Amino acid sequence: MPSGSFPTIETIRLRKDFGRAAALTGLDLDVRPGEVHGFLGPNGAGKSTTLRILLGLIRPTSGAARVFDLDPWANPVRVHRDVAYVPGDVSLWPALSGSEVIDLLTGLRGGADERLRRELIDEFDFDPRRKCRTYSKGNRQKVALIAAFARPARLYLLDEPSSGLDPVMDAVFRRQVKRVSGDGATVLLSSHILSEVEQLCDRVTIIRAGSAVETGTLAELRHLTRTRFRITAAAYPAMLEALPGVYGLHDDGAGTVFDADAAELGSVLKALAAAGVTGITAAPPSLEALFLRHYTGPDDQV
Amino acid sequence: MRAVVRLGLVQARRDRKVLTVWILGIALLGLVTSTAVAGQFGSERERASIITVAAASPAFLFLRGLPDGTGIGSVVFFQGYSFTAVLAGLMSTLLVVRHTRADEELGRSELVGSTPVPRTAPLAATLLMAAGANLVLAVAVAAGFAAAGLPVAGSLTAGAAVGAVGLFFGAATAVLAQALPSGRSTNGAAAGLVGAAYLIRGIGDALGTPDAGLTQVTAAWPSLLSPIGWGQRSRPFTAADLVPLLVVAAAALVLAAAAVLVRNRRDLGASVLHEGEGKDRAGTGGTSLLGLAWRLQRFPLAGWCLASLALGAVAGGLAPVVGNALDGNPALQDLIKRLVPGEQPDVVDLFTTALLGIAGVVAAAAGIQTVLRLRTEEVEGRAELLLAVPRSRTRWLAATLVLAALSVTAVAATAGTAAAVGLGLSGAGSSQGGIIVAAALAHAPAAAVFPAVTSLVFATVPRLGSLLGWGFLAVGLVLGQFGELLGLPVWMQDISPFRHSSAMPVESFEPGGALALTAVALAGAGLAAYLIRRRDLTA
Repeated sequence: MPSGSFPTIETIRLRKDFGRAAALTGLDLDVRPGEVHGFLGPNGAGKSTTLRILLGLIRPTSGAARVFDLDPWANPVRVHRDVAYVPGDVSLWPALSGSEVIDLLTGLRGGADERLRRELIDEFDFDPRRKCRTYSKGNRQKVALIAAFARPARLYLLDEPSSGLDPVMDAVFRRQVKRVSGDGATVLLSSHILSEVEQLCDRVTIIRAGSAVETGTLAELRHLTRTRFRITAAAYPAMLEALPGVYGLHDDGAGTVFDADAAELGSVLKALAAAGVTGITAAPPSLEALFLRHYTGPDDQV
Repeated sequence: MRAVVRLGLVQARRDRKVLTVWILGIALLGLVTSTAVAGQFGSERERASIITVAAASPAFLFLRGLPDGTGIGSVVFFQGYSFTAVLAGLMSTLLVVRHTRADEELGRSELVGSTPVPRTAPLAATLLMAAGANLVLAVAVAAGFAAAGLPVAGSLTAGAAVGAVGLFFGAATAVLAQALPSGRSTNGAAAGLVGAAYLIRGIGDALGTPDAGLTQVTAAWPSLLSPIGWGQRSRPFTAADLVPLLVVAAAALVLAAAAVLVRNRRDLGASVLHEGEGKDRAGTGGTSLLGLAWRLQRFPLAGWCLASLALGAVAGGLAPVVGNALDGNPALQDLIKRLVPGEQPDVVDLFTTALLGIAGVVAAAAGIQTVLRLRTEEVEGRAELLLAVPRSRTRWLAATLVLAALSVTAVAATAGTAAAVGLGLSGAGSSQGGIIVAAALAHAPAAAVFPAVTSLVFATVPRLGSLLGWGFLAVGLVLGQFGELLGLPVWMQDISPFRHSSAMPVESFEPGGALALTAVALAGAGLAAYLIRRRDLTA
């Protein structure tokens, strides 16, 4: 199959209803070959539902989903040949050992790369001999991650994959994503952990209440955000109040704090220069702020 | 204590639907049986004739219990008590496992355990709830009998007998739940306990001694080892006696206290059976869907085979005793000849046929359980993980259907082989070993229809899989065992697949029925394999 001529994942006005509840309300998603795509949203936004549709496990109510230019509902087996999946809530067979589950899942996909399998078990510091009944949430997550990464795939669908992992294991996970991405694979990473997405992803789609509210590269999205300033000055810089693009100006005891729109940074800096500033910190626009702005309504903007 | 009551109410609320179905279902069975007996055997003479036949037939005694006089109430109790007691037992075991080991395994107990209630409060609440459920069941069963016109006092005693047996199994299950590592294994062991109680009572009753008038049978000692046997000793409609029921209730109390004691001393999640280390790598077949199905099913299958082995062994081991009893009683033989004119089948053959019929039901249950395992896989989220690999759902279902078919065959063959070996060793009966094995296998096509239908339900309305799968078996069983008694129309009785398989060795093998049943099973399975691709994976 040629890659590059079509998106690895494409959904058009994807809608999924469960009874009267709408999980997806017209989602447009576009994941290009070779990119690590962040799929950000709060709990219940429809991330897992989207991944299940992409796997052909459930059928969209309306709209279209295509993976490798195939309809996953009609061709689940062909799609799955090139997909590795880590579900959000990993449930394993209580009586099987972790090792057996890894062998089962990779075996059904055509067999693990033995060297990779060994390295992964080692890196994730995982004890594969124990029965799955006795694994903690983090260890169950490791089983699914090792099974996913132990055999190369063209597309990795990862549903909140680092939930339950400690920071050290999280670093191992990020290395693996970078490795497969370096090998040319496409990754769709659903998450509500922003730092993870900021570190790993080329592009991001933010989903809320079943549809995409924002999509683009991190740079493009940052453009939409505000920089947070904290200054100390000889006198309270009252003239900032009059400037357009300045929000939430207040004195928090340790200094004056405000947010400024990217477009107005020039005039803000000029004003600050005139105000006799003695100290300044400017925090880069965090995805956090962007995220919160999309999750909260217009009335309670941050 | 307030915490116990409060937890009990929460648990009862969680169970309100399923318990309503159980209790109403069991009471309804009693009501319908009573009405049918009153309608079909209205006169004392008619009742006397069927009771006499039953008293002289060990197969009847094994399956149903002890005849105790010829009054309508007595005949109803004889016909229905054993089955009702088994149902009450199963209701109670499932109830207790749901709130004890299953909750513990799934981590729910941890949440409750973190609140300021005593460690034993959830278990005590479950036992209290089980007692309440069985009390309601006792009243409902009594009401059913009374509504059919049976004496009120006798009805109450009969209801109490059923409730006491349920209570016993609830408490016994609470003990098992302390010892076994998972909800699934506890359910299996508890169901095995109920089955064993039925079987042991059956042996004791089949070996019982009829009185001179052949209207009453006194059980042999093995029945005293079974709570179902004790419940039967209450003799509700002749010489009502609550003492045996008090014995059962006291035993339940002791077991409940033991369970609470153990729970108070053991770690949350700990079990006597220790979890060993798993395999380092998957073995042969560990990377295929069929291999996975086998891994998941091998212990339950061993349990089903053990049950059918016990049935076969009873058929083989008891047959000579049964034969002797009749040989030594020419008056009895004479009576049977007069009651049932025409060529008389060998009494040992009759006994074997009846037991192999029950083995067929066990085989069907094994098949249903195998298929329903898929629903558990789906609900608990493992299907999602598994079906993300390049294998179609059709293959996933097919692997399990193959295993279900093998299970049905293995369970039937086990019963047949055990019976054949037993009969061969004792030299009883007129049939050769090969015929006995064939007789057991003759029920396999009928049994295979049940997993096929269950898979069809699973493929279309998965949420109803368990209800309709087991419900169909209950219907098949009731129609097979009670259909004629209830005077149901033939077409309705014919819904039960068991009606279409040959009751060998008494009847001769009829290939038409077997072929038709096999075709139905294959068609159902094939349709299910096709339809499973057309629905969403659901939780």
